[in-house]
Amino acid sequence: MAIVAKTSRFSKIAWPTLAWVVALIFFFPIFYMILTSFKTDADAVKAEHVFFFTPTLENYANMSDNYDYWRFATNSVITSVFATLFALIVGVPCAYAMAFNPSRGTKDILMWMLSTKMLPAAAVLYPMTFLTKNVFNVFDTHFLVIFVLCLINLPIVVWMLFTYFKDIPKDIIEAGKMDGLTTWGEVKEILIPLAWGGIVSTALLTFIFCWNEAYWTVRLTTIDAATLSKLIEGNRAPEGLFFGRLSAVSTAAVGPIIVLGWFCQKQLVSGLTFGAVK
Amino acid sequence: MANRTIPRLLQTPAVLLLLFWMIVPLAMTLFYSFIRYVLNSTVRPEWTTPSWSNWRGFGNYEFVMNSKDFILAIKNSLFIVGSILTLTVVLGVMIAVLINRSFPGRGVVRVLLISPFFVMPAVNAVLWINMLLDPVLGLQGIAISAINDMAAGMQDAPLVGWFFNLWPVLEPISFRATQTSAIAVIMMVTWQWTPFAVLIFMTSLQSEDQQQKEAAVLDGASRWSQFRFLTLPHLGRPMAIVVMIQAIFHLSLYAEIEIVSRGNGNKNLPYLIGEFTNNNIGAASATGIFAVILANIVAIFLLRAVGKTLME
Amino acid sequence: MGSIVLDKVQKKFGDVEVIPPLDLEINDGEFVVFVGPSGCGKSTLLRMIAGLEDLTAGKVNIDDKDVTEVSPAKRGLSMVFQSYALYPHMTVRKNIAFPMRMAKIPQDVQDAKIEAAAKSLNLADYLDRKPGQLSGGQRQRVAIGRAIVREPSAFLFDEPLSNLDAALRVGMRLEIMELHTKLKTTMIYVTHDQVEAMTMADKIVVLQAGVIEQVGSPLELYHTPRNKFVAGFIGSPKMNLIEGEEAAKHDATTIGIRPEHVSVSKTEGTWKGTVGVAEHLGSDTFIHVHNTGLDTGEGDLFTVRISGDIAVSHGDTVYLTPDMDQLHRFDAQGLRIA
Repeated sequence: MAIVAKTSRFSKIAWPTLAWVVALIFFFPIFYMILTSFKTDADAVKAEHVFFFTPTLENYANMSDNYDYWRFATNSVITSVFATLFALIVGVPCAYAMAFNPSRGTKDILMWMLSTKMLPAAAVLYPMTFLTKNVFNVFDTHFLVIFVLCLINLPIVVWMLFTYFKDIPKDIIEAGKMDGLTTWGEVKEILIPLAWGGIVSTALLTFIFCWNEAYWTVRLTTIDAATLSKLIEGNRAPEGLFFGRLSAVSTAAVGPIIVLGWFCQKQLVSGLTFGAVK
Repeated sequence: MANRTIPRLLQTPAVLLLLFWMIVPLAMTLFYSFIRYVLNSTVRPEWTTPSWSNWRGFGNYEFVMNSKDFILAIKNSLFIVGSILTLTVVLGVMIAVLINRSFPGRGVVRVLLISPFFVMPAVNAVLWINMLLDPVLGLQGIAISAINDMAAGMQDAPLVGWFFNLWPVLEPISFRATQTSAIAVIMMVTWQWTPFAVLIFMTSLQSEDQQQKEAAVLDGASRWSQFRFLTLPHLGRPMAIVVMIQAIFHLSLYAEIEIVSRGNGNKNLPYLIGEFTNNNIGAASATGIFAVILANIVAIFLLRAVGKTLME
Repeated sequence: MGSIVLDKVQKKFGDVEVIPPLDLEINDGEFVVFVGPSGCGKSTLLRMIAGLEDLTAGKVNIDDKDVTEVSPAKRGLSMVFQSYALYPHMTVRKNIAFPMRMAKIPQDVQDAKIEAAAKSLNLADYLDRKPGQLSGGQRQRVAIGRAIVREPSAFLFDEPLSNLDAALRVGMRLEIMELHTKLKTTMIYVTHDQVEAMTMADKIVVLQAGVIEQVGSPLELYHTPRNKFVAGFIGSPKMNLIEGEEAAKHDATTIGIRPEHVSVSKTEGTWKGTVGVAEHLGSDTFIHVHNTGLDTGEGDLFTVRISGDIAVSHGDTVYLTPDMDQLHRFDAQGLRIA
């Protein structure tokens, strides 16, 4: 802060303390979940063991027996990775063309793409179920989940990449043209190296969104392609019996993503607001 | 070069995919919303296949609008979304201003604060409704019974015993009940989305004109006046965007509602659609069209706001 | 070789005609400067020559070959951009090598050329740095180096010095001129700064609103501006343009007299006025005179430039005498009367 205002000793200590308190309150549910994941199911519901207990790893060790965790986790990884990959493969050329050869329609196309993101998924629940089950016969397949995840995130991918590409000076691309670059050369030699950071954070964010998606992954799968969202949703109400093991599987489901999220919190803003807040 | 073919070609796959994704299912929904279409009917088996001959006009819409659940769902949607928006914006601004200064451990505070946003909705709901809010076995139940036990234990104590005798026995709240399940949803979603608001407001605060603030200091503006007349107006636009983006997301809340109460007394439009889809596709589709219209009203404003900054 | 001929080239952005059909010949080895106020289409014209901008109509010929439909890279031209447009993710060496790599020139030839360019541009010590670590002047040299190694038939400069500070600009100006003397390659140079134009050019093309107002050597433009616009644009301080009664005395709608062609006296002279501001530069003195009774347009301002110093200050009364041999006369259309 550039302002050199007189700050009292009180506010020098009070405000940071308050900030810490708020942050700890917000993190507490996650902390409590992690804590519970190291308790036995019996300890997890006892008042005397809220903070003091003998930690155990059995919940993690038994995750596959209790919940078949790894199968769902594998599905989550496969579908999220490939959906992200395909969204990039389709999105990069599109955003490139829009950023460097904008036409009068470019803005409208971008806005329209965004508007598809705003359609409530539930509105097309039955048609999607019908189409995937009876017409294309892809219900509960990895292909379907990948396809759907790719499509619902495509607008955000194009949008984010567009904002990154737009920041590359046009002069550099033109210098490249003068120096003899082909279209493919432009992408390979200039665009990708210069926008690499942006592409990576777009990919990370897309991956997070795919991983956390909880409507289509639940509604369009049963067993074969079910992801972690489906797993947790299926064990929604254990009536207090399995808090320990449920916490463990929940921690395993969100842990990697929270850590990934820490790495792309800056890009999150432009990704979520479609570049409208800078 | 005068060649516009390559750029067009590069955009085609994305455009076609999204076009297909948007038009085909939506057109089907629109069609179903105007016909009688049920999955099982022993009385009227002809209604189990979609066909123009089952045309019902706006009948499905009338049916939906007259159903008790629809009014409930609309009211409930607005209650949930409105509460979440108010809470996240107010909390978001306060926290953003609070941490928009340098202090020891600011990076860690940021990381801790943002974490809830990355928790998947299903885990969020399961965590809150079971481990935290369960009236007996969750933290809420444990804490309340601990307080009650402590009060009971102190009642026989000398000197202060009379004081604890005045304490009522606290009742834990069940958040799965009809009246309270919406509150639980509001709590968990607010917890998850306040970080989002904080993050956006913080980004915006960092672009605040520092010279303007210095000028205000020289003009004798107090801290509060600076906040009221400079910071708050500066945050106006991000606030609008936070509100609109969240509105669109929360209008289609599903997992949380399903997990907390299975829609018991706490439906919203997506949940209602899900229920209709079990049999009455016509009604489900009509409800879907209502949901699309509702989302579009918000989306128009959001797109307009976003569009302004698009080509800058 | 590097002669460039523009044949009725025209540019429209949508319905807006930025450059009406225009002809221009640039001879091999010439240093040509496009000069004009911002928005006059000079950069667009340069970019059309480079091939970065499509032509709406007309033809571009380089060395008697029609290159209108040829891609920028195949035209054999090099361009130096205002923003330098260096590749930020490559070292200086790689930046300079880039066009040669694209042209698949053997590595040893590349190395030799890079060494030569680096030596002549004083970049030898910086070859392994990235552009971000260089000063503005150094970046400019890298951009020039990248242009040189292609051995183009012509260099195109798009306001290359406008991002540099004043002191550096003079130095770079000399370097570019020396480069031209050494290479004897055609250079086309776009600037809005008439001083750059006057000092560097063999031939100046003055543009306004996409139209060529005059083509000529710096001194031709100075001594015989074809119209009022060129008269006002070339020369610093600006030429005084006088209308009304005083112009009518010389059978003209407008007469022009350059500030340096007026002498000042405290006692007698043709016109009388009051000193507004006197700028004492030591070598020269610029005197801005008001209340001359001449119709000099809105500001009622007449500027005089005196060699050396003269003791005048605000409010003094001065007498001005123009050198009649240096008077420019313009008709109602603003064209020069011979």
